[in-house]
Amino acid sequence: MRTVTLTIDSAEVTVPKGTSLLQAAEGLGIEVPHYCYHPGLTAPAQCRICLVEVEGAPKLQPSCVTMAEDGQVVRTDSDAALRMRKGVLEFYLVNHPLDCPICDMSGECMLQDYVFDEGREKGRSREPKRVFGRDDFGGDVLYYGDRCVMCTRCVRFMDEVARDSRLTVVERGSRAVIDTFFEEGLEGSPFAGNVVDICPVGALVSKDFLHKARAWDLDHTPSVCTSCSQGCNIELHTRDNLVQRLKPRANHEVNGHWMCDYGRANYEWYNRAGRLEEPSSGRGGKRRGGDWKSALEHLFVRLVELAGTEVRVVGSPSASVEALGALLALAEAAGGAASGVFRSRRAESEDPMPGFPLLVRRRDLAANVDGARLLGFERVGDDEAAGGLEEVAAHDGIVVVLGDELADQSADFGGEAALYVYMGHFDSPAAGNADFVLPITTAAEEEGTFVNAQGRVQRYWQGLQPLGAARPAWLVLGALAGALMGGGTPASAAKAFAALAAAHAPLEGLSHEALGELGVALAAEAAHG
Amino acid sequence: MAYPYLHESETRVLSEGFGSPEARTVAGWRALGGYQGIARALEIGREATIEEVKASGLRGRGGAGFPTGLKWSFMPKEARRPHYLLCNADESEPGTFKDREIIRWTPHQLIEGCLVGSYAIGASHCYIYLRGEFFESTQVLARALEEAYGEGLVGSDVMGSGVEIDITLHVGAGAYICGEETGLMSSLEGRRGEPRIKPPFPAAVGAFGMPSTINNVETLAATPHILRHGGEWYRQWGTEKSPGTKLFCVSGHVRRPGNYELPLGFPMMELIEDVCGGLSGGRALKAVIPGGSSVPIMSAEECMECDLCYEGVEAAGSMLGCASVIVMDETTDIVKQVRRMAYFYAHESCGQCTPCREGTAWATRILQRIEDGRGTEDDLETLVEISEQMTGTTICVLSDSLAMPIISSIEKFRDDYLALIRTGERLGAA
Amino acid sequence: MSEARFRNPGWAGNTGDFELTEAEVRGSEYVGRRSPDGGHPSVAPSLPYMLVAKNPEAPLLEGPYRERLGKIRSRYPTARAALIPLLNMAQEIRGHISPATMNEVAGILGLSEAFVRGVATFYTMYNKRPVGRFLVQVCTNISCNLAGADEVLAAFLEHTGTELGETSADGDFTVAEAECLAACGFPTCVQINSRYFEDVSPEDVPALLARLRREVDEGY
Repeated sequence: MRTVTLTIDSAEVTVPKGTSLLQAAEGLGIEVPHYCYHPGLTAPAQCRICLVEVEGAPKLQPSCVTMAEDGQVVRTDSDAALRMRKGVLEFYLVNHPLDCPICDMSGECMLQDYVFDEGREKGRSREPKRVFGRDDFGGDVLYYGDRCVMCTRCVRFMDEVARDSRLTVVERGSRAVIDTFFEEGLEGSPFAGNVVDICPVGALVSKDFLHKARAWDLDHTPSVCTSCSQGCNIELHTRDNLVQRLKPRANHEVNGHWMCDYGRANYEWYNRAGRLEEPSSGRGGKRRGGDWKSALEHLFVRLVELAGTEVRVVGSPSASVEALGALLALAEAAGGAASGVFRSRRAESEDPMPGFPLLVRRRDLAANVDGARLLGFERVGDDEAAGGLEEVAAHDGIVVVLGDELADQSADFGGEAALYVYMGHFDSPAAGNADFVLPITTAAEEEGTFVNAQGRVQRYWQGLQPLGAARPAWLVLGALAGALMGGGTPASAAKAFAALAAAHAPLEGLSHEALGELGVALAAEAAHG
Repeated sequence: MAYPYLHESETRVLSEGFGSPEARTVAGWRALGGYQGIARALEIGREATIEEVKASGLRGRGGAGFPTGLKWSFMPKEARRPHYLLCNADESEPGTFKDREIIRWTPHQLIEGCLVGSYAIGASHCYIYLRGEFFESTQVLARALEEAYGEGLVGSDVMGSGVEIDITLHVGAGAYICGEETGLMSSLEGRRGEPRIKPPFPAAVGAFGMPSTINNVETLAATPHILRHGGEWYRQWGTEKSPGTKLFCVSGHVRRPGNYELPLGFPMMELIEDVCGGLSGGRALKAVIPGGSSVPIMSAEECMECDLCYEGVEAAGSMLGCASVIVMDETTDIVKQVRRMAYFYAHESCGQCTPCREGTAWATRILQRIEDGRGTEDDLETLVEISEQMTGTTICVLSDSLAMPIISSIEKFRDDYLALIRTGERLGAA
Repeated sequence: MSEARFRNPGWAGNTGDFELTEAEVRGSEYVGRRSPDGGHPSVAPSLPYMLVAKNPEAPLLEGPYRERLGKIRSRYPTARAALIPLLNMAQEIRGHISPATMNEVAGILGLSEAFVRGVATFYTMYNKRPVGRFLVQVCTNISCNLAGADEVLAAFLEHTGTELGETSADGDFTVAEAECLAACGFPTCVQINSRYFEDVSPEDVPALLARLRREVDEGY
């Protein structure tokens, strides 16, 4: 790759040829203010706030479309550049309503930030402001025209990425606004929610999130979307131990800067009431709550008593690689021949993102279908994740269910079983028949990994405190397996993963640390090994 | 006298057929020497055609004054991709009314110019982008083009040379910014007429992504004459840096406004006093805008020694632009006229670039407030500063075009502003 | 030299020093009604008329108009480039560009409706709502303004009994302000449907309106 070396604000930097000045500066940790430029879209160079001084050029140059050249001397903070930015920021505020106190974007708004950093102390406009009001764009999107900076990122997203040109600039000059074709709106577009993410100000906001939380009150946790097997990299935005919204996190191998609306909207289950909060034991009417210590002690005793009994396990495609691995390890430790099944909802068709075809809303509507398969679990049941458990339900040995709510199963599920253990988030009639009902954490409450449809192993982090006494499944299962085998309990998800990687060839050589924030593609890793 | 503009100082090259309905036909245009320029071009070849135009020193008549031959030479020589010639007939610069005159009186002059230009740059298709309001002149041109096709002057075999040049009339729908070359390209492609960032320049990536050259109507109309008579012949008029003749569009407070074809370098006061018969009612000169509304206003004093050529007007503190001389006498309310210009630019801003979108509208409101007698002296400093913030900071020069009259008028006619602000009096207003 | 200003046969009425007839200046022989099929393909994308007759319900692509669209499309390398010529044609037929028209045009060219709306609202010549039989557009930009265009505009409003941008009660006249029409030598310039009337003074307005009413049958 050919490179060029240039100087930006007195620091020398070498970048690949074809890198813009803005990106080159970014590499040095220098943020050049920008609105219309977005790394996932074409740049029209129209916001005019990324202008920088390039030695020898007669005018300030837009750094988003000016390519780095050998020997260039660039100043992002020269007097001329700063004066110009101050001027452009003043223009932005001539008609901006300055309604930050009631604007959802406040705290993460690029207009607020830039004006705070570099703007004038006081605007000079005394003229009445132009008023457009609010427009419901349909779907989850609201448009506040008065706050709009006309960067047209949203229009370009719909044109270039969603390839569904439903947004446009209407009128021209200072009368211009973003709009759809009259009442058409964005309803039905599977990707429109991204326009809210890329809006640099509070012009496009989410109805779902409207006035729900202030940006500065939200904690951000890197995670992986659990809504399908694409495994889009996301952030959980949490407050009051509740997930408030999901936002995409950039990963060019998986989802670019985007995610689909289906995944984005599917987070309330994390916050759903009625969770299992404490371990309990005893079937039917004899079921009693208790603590983990006694539950695990009793369970351990039963497992020892039943050593050598055939074990049937039901996993979940939403459980982590670590949990599913520990489930198999427990089955093996219990001494019976282990065989695992899982059930998974499947959509009728896929929904690829036309302008970023790597991102597909997959048919498998769970995050770890491929991880379960990789570990040897077999898919049973129909596309509604129902049926297929007849043999397990009637099994007379040991039955362990992890994460499958068994919503379609009857209250006598596992009635024949010598031991029936249910580990999950929610109670159900079939769960209630278990000898042991153990509350486990959700993906938002634990660390772990998923394997996506591309065969990419990706980590997620803990964003919420576990509800009640819920514990990560890998910990519970790992402790039991460890005790049965005479080994120890894994001290962390990373250690649980390491143990698994040592035992499963496709995962060989991987570790949480090696996966990092962006994950590792298995096929490539296996090939290297 | 068939046509009123004739004055003894006039040098009728482009305007020879003005006022003569016969010149609208192929036969009539041939009688004036028409279609000899393209014939010679076809004879001497592409390179020599460009050289001839380079030798003439012809500069673009659309306002920027860029040397035409040089512009043509930027086009790639390869012929793998289609090349396009775009004729800019979107004449909309306030004060300018020369292209319409060329089109409606001598449509074949333009058609021949388009053939010369297309041939020189290797374009097999030329689009003439006409402003939508030109219904009548477009019809004259349409009829002429149909006739030219019928006579084999345009089309798959231009004058039997085997060269293919098609010409298509494309009509806009009302947007000043489509006169900007990249805005014109956007509009031609069926988009909002929004200018595009350069580079890439049109010669590399132009209309439909192909190499393109954009020339003004008057520029192209001059080329057949240059080809027919030679570049040196053209240099008999004008100055070293501004050779040839030019149509001067004179409007405003003169007795005989109109289009006058004069050699470049013609003294401005002679144009106003002699050719145009002086100011109406014998009133005194107050100001002149010499190049269409997008250039700095000149005070009467600055006009006295000003020669109307690119370098001459620049030396006098303004720009020749498209040589649209707007004359304002002592009764002129400068503040009102600047406000009207500001309104125009705000109305025509495409809205892409922030300094232009917000700045033109904001300046208009401030000027309106001053005009309404609610201005303050601070407003003048604000106006100058926001004008500076609108200069050199945008994709095209629309906002620069407003900044210039604002800054120059506040500098040169400050008293007019102050009178309104302090006492509500309109200086000079009749 | 005469103090009297030229009266340009552009055509406001008085011919002054000119020997040319109005027909000669306008090139009426040339400007006569062109066939709706657009004539030669090279000129098919140009806009012949803004017509007195406006039929918002008329089909867009019947007979000669369909033929014209075919010619238009043959002149451009992309379908999108036919958009402005097609919108022009739609307005010629229907008198204004309604949402339904935008939708139809989008369908014909395979463009998104939103895109077509964005384009239609960018250009001022597209009437987004119905206008009168005569659309009177008075230039009030600098050169005309210096000659008293504001008074000419006021005279049109007075004599048609309308407000700026509105249509007279009889449906005959919509009066609007225009930006520079490139006829600055003979102010005030007024564009009425397809024609320019130059050197119009406030006093000319009643006669001009009367003339237009007489000419309705001519159609443009």
